[in-house]
Amino acid sequence: MTIHATECLLRMHDQHHELEDYQSGVPRWCTGCGDNAILAAVQRLCRDEDLRPEKTMFVSGIGCSSRFPHYMKTYGFHGIHGRALPVAEGIKMARPDLNVFVNTGDGDCCSIGAAHWIHAIRYNMNMTVMLHDNQIYGLTKKQASPTSPRGTKSNTTPGGSYLEAMQPLTVTLGVQNVSFVAQAVDWIPEVLYDIISKAFKHKGFSFVRIIQRCPEWLPNTFEPWMQDPLRTLLLTHENGLTLSPNLSKVYKTQERHDPMNINRAREIASLQDPIPVGILYNNPNVPCYEDIHNIGQQRSTRYIKAGLEAEFDKFTIWPQAADGKIQPGA
Amino acid sequence: MQAELQAHIAFHLTGRMPQGEFAALTSSDLQPAIFAGYRDLTSLRYDFPLILARGGGQPVQSLSGLIDGALKDIAAGDEADRLRKHALRIERELRRLVAEGATGSLSKLWDLGVTRVGPKDDKLLQDSLRRLRAALKIDGEVVDCDKTLPFRLFQHLWQAGQDRKAQNFRADVNRLIMKLSDILSAEFVRSKEGLSAERLRASVGAAHQSDFDFDAMSRLLTESSVNVPMPESRRRRVRGLLSTLRAQRFYAAASDGDKGIDVGEPYSFVFEKCSDAVAAYRERLPRMVELAKAIAIARLELESKYSEAHHDAFFAEFGDNGLDPEDLALFPDYLICLGAADLAASESDLILQALAAGMPAKIVVQTDDLLEQSPLGSDYMISGLRSKQLASTAIGLGACYVLQSSGSNLFRLREQILRGIAYSGPALFSVFSGASGTGVPPYLTAAAAAESRAFPAFTYDPSAGPDWASRFSLAGNSQIDLDWPQQRLEYEDAEQQLVSETVAFTLVDFAACDPRCAKHFAKVPRTKWTADLVPASEFLDREPIDLVEKVPSLLMVDGDNRLQKVVVNDRLVREAHRCAEAWRSLQELGGVHNSHAAILLERERKVWAEQAKPAAEAKPAVAETTPAAVAPAAATAAPAIAEAAPERSPDEAYIETPRCTTCNECTTINDKMFGYDANKQASIINPDAGTYRQLVEAAESCQVSIIHPGKPRNPAEPGLDELIKRAESFM
Ligand SMILES: Cc1ncc(C[n+]2csc(CCOP(=O)(O)OP(=O)(O)O)c2C)c(N)n1
Ligand code: SF4
Ligand code: SF4
Ligand SMILES: [Mg+2]
Repeated sequence: MTIHATECLLRMHDQHHELEDYQSGVPRWCTGCGDNAILAAVQRLCRDEDLRPEKTMFVSGIGCSSRFPHYMKTYGFHGIHGRALPVAEGIKMARPDLNVFVNTGDGDCCSIGAAHWIHAIRYNMNMTVMLHDNQIYGLTKKQASPTSPRGTKSNTTPGGSYLEAMQPLTVTLGVQNVSFVAQAVDWIPEVLYDIISKAFKHKGFSFVRIIQRCPEWLPNTFEPWMQDPLRTLLLTHENGLTLSPNLSKVYKTQERHDPMNINRAREIASLQDPIPVGILYNNPNVPCYEDIHNIGQQRSTRYIKAGLEAEFDKFTIWPQAADGKIQPGA
Repeated sequence: MQAELQAHIAFHLTGRMPQGEFAALTSSDLQPAIFAGYRDLTSLRYDFPLILARGGGQPVQSLSGLIDGALKDIAAGDEADRLRKHALRIERELRRLVAEGATGSLSKLWDLGVTRVGPKDDKLLQDSLRRLRAALKIDGEVVDCDKTLPFRLFQHLWQAGQDRKAQNFRADVNRLIMKLSDILSAEFVRSKEGLSAERLRASVGAAHQSDFDFDAMSRLLTESSVNVPMPESRRRRVRGLLSTLRAQRFYAAASDGDKGIDVGEPYSFVFEKCSDAVAAYRERLPRMVELAKAIAIARLELESKYSEAHHDAFFAEFGDNGLDPEDLALFPDYLICLGAADLAASESDLILQALAAGMPAKIVVQTDDLLEQSPLGSDYMISGLRSKQLASTAIGLGACYVLQSSGSNLFRLREQILRGIAYSGPALFSVFSGASGTGVPPYLTAAAAAESRAFPAFTYDPSAGPDWASRFSLAGNSQIDLDWPQQRLEYEDAEQQLVSETVAFTLVDFAACDPRCAKHFAKVPRTKWTADLVPASEFLDREPIDLVEKVPSLLMVDGDNRLQKVVVNDRLVREAHRCAEAWRSLQELGGVHNSHAAILLERERKVWAEQAKPAAEAKPAVAETTPAAVAPAAATAAPAIAEAAPERSPDEAYIETPRCTTCNECTTINDKMFGYDANKQASIINPDAGTYRQLVEAAESCQVSIIHPGKPRNPAEPGLDELIKRAESFM
């Protein structure tokens, strides 16, 4: 089959973008911050998938990590604290043609935004969600977050935090309709890129927890794992990650894990040492809310206005009716 | 003995029936023995009746499937048994109603069934029925396997497909209309008129009107706006597009569409004659081209990519060579429902021409009777020739989706039907309804036609792949690797002992269901059941065993379910031979007993045997090499080869770039020495652009320790001894 004429005409004028074309401004993150690695991987993805900037949307809440949309030369929405997901859902609902990405922090997603997170999983709308988990509130200068390991000394917990850390992977895997869950670490860029790219290609709510270094407030937290590659458990599978021979030589702790196996995924999700890295769960068959709830109707101004008018009319009282009864019609 | 054999042979060869030897097969109370259990269809649970479901979800469902689904949802705990029993009762009642000719929706028949299934005051029964009804969830017309089934089913599935298409089309076109209008109104807002004081006043609203001086505002805005007006040619084009999009008649306008414009009734796409459909298609073609072109141009306009220099010429010739399949896919398909019996030769030709030309048509050809007058005499033959010929010629066209099936199989082939309807090119569906008017229930006749290979099922799906193996499928036939399907038949003999034998269901059995074929059979009195009577299927084998002095016979049952034996006339056996031939060539197409493959396999086997010989002679102790053992070895993948690390001297500074996390540490230290590549990962771009100290410091601050400083290049740099020591851990 040859290519469709209109498509051909459209492509005739399409340009290819280089990685720099997606870069906007100079990131204000600290030197050594893991967010830089995530930004590089995402820009690489945009270039490799040739995503059109005007069809691509980055949505975030508040936090260091949530500054992400500023550094992408695409559309972006730097939202309010904890509300990245509902904003992204609204965008996807109104404009299913856009590529929607969400960048959120551990405070943004797992603390103030936790309720939205749970329901967004269940709605399974097609978007790629990156949880930048540095286990601390970075922007507000070091307060414990729900994912801070027990004993983390911070400005809100000077004597060390009291509670066991929340595990974002087990939470996500416990919600109905979960369809894609992966974990990456910012310091293995090849795998980080691979995972984000698989997440992007999955149709549904792709949740990637990225363990992200914050050298400013928690400089040594991940040192032991960076020094000893054997303390990283790489998940491989023909439907998940396949490792390059070079990487395989360094990261020898591996497990062949079928991303359709949710029970094993849940077990892996609760591992903390070694840190599991790879695709824990990927089920392409979970329906997306925007498809189920497609009303087949363009949400034009006229359409929305007509709907509102119809609602208002139900409560209109016509002054000329002396008895105060509601008159049918106008 | 000899006398009986002679009489049997005489009938077999000549159809002559001497007095006393045989009884003619006149009444329809004789049925193939296998059918003994199917006398009363209403007491069986099978696919029919079907429900043509309205709304989303599965568009066609079987009554038993629905009941099973409902039971799965509600039958649990102590009440499970009771609910199940009552469910089966109402199901049987519904089946009876339909068999008696009741028609209508499931809800209507259900209410009728409820009044008949049991007393109103049976509280438990009524409770079960209420809960079952609530669990059914869907409603729709109920159809049985009868003469009306094929057209109704296809029309229903086609309509569901068209509705989906219409929905997408409307969403798309409404979006285009909205955005095109936006282009015009954006132009207006920026124009002098749009920036006039009155306009501005109207746009602010009553509450704040006194706060502004609109004349001054208008002056300011008009003067400061660098408004480059839209070229007149573009404005005209956009207006033209809008009017074409609004005036289309291929789909009904959307509910909130522009009601102001009267564009006339939407076109109808259902036809009873191919010639009518073709005429309509030709008449509408210019409008189709116009609309497809408008949509293509509109898309370009919205992307601001319409360039007159590029596109004007292209679109001037758009559609001159017809529309391509993607453009055609925008439009509704033509559904053409035809009866094979009144298919004139010219109409058949036209069908083939339309299919060959890629007309977006879904053609349903329904055959009601497989018995046709033989052109060589006054006799009947079993063929359904016209529709079969149409189907096989259509396959030959290559790009046409073809499905053949008897009515009884349509439910099982629903996925294939839906695929054919969704197929982007033309499709031909040839269906045998079984409604031959012989008094036998159509379901039985249709099922017998399918079982006996008189009307086998097949699909040819050009979209499934490039070759016959992926395109052609015999799914829907039973036991496809056999000539005839085989069944176990169990009965009691005169001594009331259980006898169990395997019997094949052949074309002869199919004929035995049809009273018009009675003259081909002669009933043999039980006293004359001699050893020369062998099952007719043995006569039909590819390589028949020695059949000298044998006569083909068939086991049948009478109205009391007593076993009967009949002798079969040679004429029918010959016809069954032809049927088997046709089935075998279908098998070959479907990859079953493929003669080419068999020849190839035989040749390869010989080669393997040849190759194995010298090895076996040299090393007699080693087990024989079989083809199976050779194959996996060849299939093992080559071991993965690790990427070779580039050769470099240990004195040279370098970075393991693929592991770089883009953290900016090194580039912050010296961005002339360290730089990013196209993937935004660091490497040493110029080792002489900085000091050895900077190299070592970068190595120390790199959190993933991938910077290797090598040896200093400038021996005069101060403090080298200490630096070399610090660099050691990064070598
Ligand atoms: C409603 C609201 N509450 C609190 C804050 C203050 N605040 C800003 S960022 C932040 C935490 C950010 O932590 P995280 O999401 O982990 O992002 P990071 O900076 O670590 O990337 C908080 C509590 C706010 N901006 N808005
Ligand atoms: S404070 Fe931490 S998270 Fe925020 S930019 Fe700095 S290093 Fe990154
Ligand atoms: S310091 Fe290391 S990780 Fe950071 S940019 Fe340089 S080479 Fe890359
Ligand atoms: Mg954080």
